[in-house]
Amino acid sequence: MRSAANRWLGRALLTASIVLSAAGQLGMKAGMQELHALGARGVAPMAAAWSELAPTVTWTVGGLTAYGLSLLCWLAVLVRYPLSYAYPLLGLAYVIVYVGATHWERLAEPASALRTGGTLLILAGVALVTVADRRR
Amino acid sequence: MNNALLLLAVLLLAGSQILQKLGAARRLHGTRTPREWLRALLSPELVGAIVTIAAGTLLWLTVLYRMDVSRAFPFLSLGTVAVVAASRLWLGEQVSARRWAGVALIAVGIALVAST
Repeated sequence: MRSAANRWLGRALLTASIVLSAAGQLGMKAGMQELHALGARGVAPMAAAWSELAPTVTWTVGGLTAYGLSLLCWLAVLVRYPLSYAYPLLGLAYVIVYVGATHWERLAEPASALRTGGTLLILAGVALVTVADRRR
Repeated sequence: MNNALLLLAVLLLAGSQILQKLGAARRLHGTRTPREWLRALLSPELVGAIVTIAAGTLLWLTVLYRMDVSRAFPFLSLGTVAVVAASRLWLGEQVSARRWAGVALIAVGIALVAST
């Protein structure tokens, strides 16, 4: 029973570190986009009212929090799994960030064949570099 | 300018990872009491890891201010390349053909993303 619960916890931590790392990137980007919009409206961030700053601060702090939590989960993952198993899965964050950035309406970044191809090559490359560990 | 900031941020974040690993192996490993743990945390490796991750994250935010996250984020995989290169150059580890192939794929992938 104990080992089944342990395995479940390990998988949950690994999933959380992948999802939180991608969510952190998307959240930080959303925050910086709000900051950009503030500048475009001619509002100086240092002199702005809280109501103006709230979206920037909320998204940025939220993104940073998710990023920090993903690092903590990752440390817990490294205690349980060999790097050669866990690290290639972390590469999935590249795909989640790409799909999120292009499909989340708030960011709506342009998708392109070059970025899609490049992101997939990186995913394959990260897997090759780390899976090679296991054979040695 | 944007690419230079991006590369500097990636370098700081990758450097922090290497320092974290060194710190965990050399200093944190085997600490038992809170006092020992605190002393490990104040070692050059772990203080360096904290400073580089703080500076790298701050710089990363300025990068996200300036470009798409779908363009910036893939560059973090350069960290993987840096670790392979460091293990070959400084630690004298043998790097298999399969790993070099992976490094080549990452490099081509980054070049494709960078061209957008």
